[in-house]
Amino acid sequence: MDRHQSRNFAIAYTFLVALPVLGLVGVLRSGRVLSAPLSVEGIWKLQADSKRSLALPCARYIASPRGTAVAISQSGKDLTLSLVGEPGLMAAGVIEGTTLKAMFHPSREGAGQGQCQMHRGLLLNATVNGKANPRSLTGNLSVADCFSCPPVGIYGVRQISNGQPH
Amino acid sequence: MPNIFTLVLQIAVILGACRVVGTLFQKIRQPRVVGEMFAGIMLGPSLLGWMAPRFETYLFPSSSLGYLNALSQVGVIIFMFLVGLGINLKELKSQGHAAVLTSHVSIVGPFVLAAALARFLYPRLSDDSVTFTSFALFMGAAMSITAFPVLARILSERGMLSSRLGTVAIACAAVDDATGWCILAYIIVLIRAAHRQTPLWLTFAGVILFALMMIYGVRRLLQGFETAYKKRGVLSDNLVASMLLLVLASALCTEWLGIHLLFGSFLMGAIMPKEQKFVRYVLDRFETITVTLLLPLFFAFTGLRTNIGLVSGSQMWIYCGLIILVATGGKLGGSMLACWITGMRLREAAGLGTLMNTRGLMELVILNIGLDIKVISPALFSMMVLMALTTTFMTTPVLELICPQEVIRREVENASTPEVGLNAVA
Repeated sequence: MDRHQSRNFAIAYTFLVALPVLGLVGVLRSGRVLSAPLSVEGIWKLQADSKRSLALPCARYIASPRGTAVAISQSGKDLTLSLVGEPGLMAAGVIEGTTLKAMFHPSREGAGQGQCQMHRGLLLNATVNGKANPRSLTGNLSVADCFSCPPVGIYGVRQISNGQPH
Repeated sequence: MPNIFTLVLQIAVILGACRVVGTLFQKIRQPRVVGEMFAGIMLGPSLLGWMAPRFETYLFPSSSLGYLNALSQVGVIIFMFLVGLGINLKELKSQGHAAVLTSHVSIVGPFVLAAALARFLYPRLSDDSVTFTSFALFMGAAMSITAFPVLARILSERGMLSSRLGTVAIACAAVDDATGWCILAYIIVLIRAAHRQTPLWLTFAGVILFALMMIYGVRRLLQGFETAYKKRGVLSDNLVASMLLLVLASALCTEWLGIHLLFGSFLMGAIMPKEQKFVRYVLDRFETITVTLLLPLFFAFTGLRTNIGLVSGSQMWIYCGLIILVATGGKLGGSMLACWITGMRLREAAGLGTLMNTRGLMELVILNIGLDIKVISPALFSMMVLMALTTTFMTTPVLELICPQEVIRREVENASTPEVGLNAVA
């Protein structure tokens, strides 16, 4: 390789490799200020704070007084909730700031199993405490569009996140 | 204990599906591996689970997936050893400065674009358990990878391994993969450090020490395999078993050090002797069971984790389109630009860019690691799997358009480089 070719190679390398690498460093530094939704992914133990949960259809499956394990799968703000060992009950939800909202509805699988028959969705509305370690939530379960059905208060603690127990 | 009936049934269904779909894809001039990847997706919630959820739950109950995963991981460990074995970084030196530049641009280009895209996707598809740096670095590593075995397969099928385009592509893909895995190791250490007692510096020191020991110590001992092969023309079963034991020991070391099993097996392959006949012999000994039995299990396991239903709504599909666009633009565009600048004809440069854009199985391996360590969410995982499928699927038709086989055949006539690659692996 002669001197002319070496110079061209050095110029090309600078523009095509070195400068983009500097750009990458800039992107990584500037991205540190970005914030992502609160992480709620993992296994949660949800507990109803009263036996009123027995009065709500299917509520005892989601948050019994003794505690129920609920798995949350998260993709950004979008959540999928399912009961551990009970594939019939699924919920789609979102997390906005610290507010978690999810609507449980029996899936095609669960509807025919007789575990619980829901004609209306069961709404979970909770506030997540992002500063607690492990993370916890407080809120209530209510029947969608049913003003005579009293909401049931619930409390939850994350048991496992990122595959690691707390 | 695993339900043996369920496990054997799963394996039979997976093997059958992969063979059928793989053969169908071969008929449309796609590498078999692309069809097998599609078969895996078809067996998961994206198709079978959507069309016949009860049957999918019966066939793949969640309690059985651990065993399927374990078997598939053994397959990927051996596969990564074979990938490392097929990689010869010395080839890059023989290609001169043009290949060095192309190779580095084909890593940096998609890496920078992916990091820029990560700025947009992080608040939308990630969560605060992952730092932006980890997320962006992972996206960069995932988008800058090239499926070395699939690329070798495509080149071999088209008779392009001896062409200038083929040799440069193979050399660049080798560098891309080695670099991509180093970056991935760094990310895994960063992420796992949060859950480990060992200080970060100690983990890095351990990894570097292990790598140096392998490169400067164990490598010399491995020459014994080549010597034994040269003497008898074959390796005894004891020697093959010893080789396998070394692969597993190396994999266990890197897992214990806090990176991942696959780095150890890849490194063991990379430091193996590179004499062509020896490489071909070892590939032949290990390939059959890996390719026909274990890798299809990995495709199925990946398919079971891929839920295209999570990519719902126009917004999510726009994100998915952006990922495919950035991955293709960065890899194909970057490699093409570098080649063209260094004096390759535009047609050749475009051909090389297309080849480098092949991600295939390597991408799936990386994505599964990303999902395991939770650096990417299930929805992003599904989008990236779609990107891997799209970029791999498009390679053959686009290449045929840019570099018709007739033109390549004329070019290869004067070349004399013997063809050795991971043919069957792909």
